[in-house]
Amino acid sequence: MYSCEEMRERLTLYLDHELQGEELTAFEFHVLNCDECRSLVEKEQLFLNSVRTAGPLNVAPPELRSRVEDLLLRKESEPVATKTQPKQTRTKLTWGLAIAAAVLVITLPLIAWRVLQRSNGPRIGQPSSFALMSADTHLRRTRGQLPLEMESGTPGQISNWFSNKVNFSVKLPNYQDSSGQEKLYTLEGARLVGFKEDYAAYVAYRMKARPISLVITSASVAQPSGGEEITAKGLKFHYDAIQGLKVLTWSDRGLTYALVSDFEERGQQSCIVCHQGANDRDFIDPLKPHH
Amino acid sequence: MSGSSRALFNSEAMQHIDALFGYAMSLTRNQSEAEDLVQETYLKAVRAAAQLAPDSNLKSWLFVIMRNAWLNQLRHRKSAPRLIELDSEDSKPWSNTLQTSNNPHVIYMRKLDQLQVRTAILDLPDAYREIVILRDIEGFSYQEIANILACPAGTVMSRLGRAREKLRQMLSGWQPRKKARSV
Repeated sequence: MYSCEEMRERLTLYLDHELQGEELTAFEFHVLNCDECRSLVEKEQLFLNSVRTAGPLNVAPPELRSRVEDLLLRKESEPVATKTQPKQTRTKLTWGLAIAAAVLVITLPLIAWRVLQRSNGPRIGQPSSFALMSADTHLRRTRGQLPLEMESGTPGQISNWFSNKVNFSVKLPNYQDSSGQEKLYTLEGARLVGFKEDYAAYVAYRMKARPISLVITSASVAQPSGGEEITAKGLKFHYDAIQGLKVLTWSDRGLTYALVSDFEERGQQSCIVCHQGANDRDFIDPLKPHH
Repeated sequence: MSGSSRALFNSEAMQHIDALFGYAMSLTRNQSEAEDLVQETYLKAVRAAAQLAPDSNLKSWLFVIMRNAWLNQLRHRKSAPRLIELDSEDSKPWSNTLQTSNNPHVIYMRKLDQLQVRTAILDLPDAYREIVILRDIEGFSYQEIANILACPAGTVMSRLGRAREKLRQMLSGWQPRKKARSV
């Protein structure tokens, strides 16, 4: 049997599952028969569990994920040209870039003319990085690639869970329970998602078996932009259709939100998760497309 | 490499993108550089995929590629590696660690909040942060970490012990940060 000192020398190995065979048996035998060492193992295990469940520390941005997916699909020998091409491969593309530049000079007048032609039509900007991240997060959730960190159908519990995890307060309304109306949607749970070296709050809902994602971050981290602009009740919404999903982003009182669903039209039905009252029709109706 | 093998490789490699991005963030501490490093890693991996033995650990292999790519970048920049040598790593770390662990101020018995742990990990010195991420976040074995870091397994053990001790110290004085804003 190990002495306490021998046992302590092997504690880190034990906790990291690096002890095997007789050493493991002797270690566990000692722990079983020594209250002091058993207490120490339990304390260390508790600490390590806290560290090990702290991950993931970062989530790859959706734009990076797309670029890497594109890269992997190309043939092995084909040079890869991406927006943020690594520096080591840039020199190999010098000739290619030179040719591309020459083509651009020749076609620039034509491109400029096309842009001027389009400027007379409705302006729809590119989706913001926050909208893209939210759509990607929703897709990963629906594919089962993004487990929830906490599961609850109670808005208060989810609000409490986010306290001390994000540097803003998330307070989800509890309209359904207080109204006594038929429940149109269910709240499933929440998790943190990485965005711009910080964490955004992710809340999962479901309505008629269809998932809805609400992503919240500080307005200092993300400002809604791009897409189709719609004003409703004094708030400016940005609507984007991304990978078949309907994404509404907006800012209000220092926070920026993204609501993602696969509902019809602009996905305005998903607004019900926070706005179910009769008065909220004034809020939701302007989001419907005008035919 | 056949088309189906390539598709399988691509699919399995993509499963590690979050882990690779996290490791890249740990190495570079800069999102743009981290994204470049992730792309470079996948580019190198695709080109070397045929050399990967069927029973190899793909995730560990990708991490080795990433770390080597990062060290190459540092060499090209002619700057000193950021992963500085820490205290002597030859001595046994455990006895010191455990003596400190008995300190009543060390926070063992309360459940640590995830955000405070994350913050503390990210604030660790580079070499400590790297090894905590490899072992405790990514779950690599000592030998796999030794391969990634190109150092003896004994160094992995001692550095990990010191890193965890530093983490305990940092977490013992943590205070939550909060701003008031509601939906």
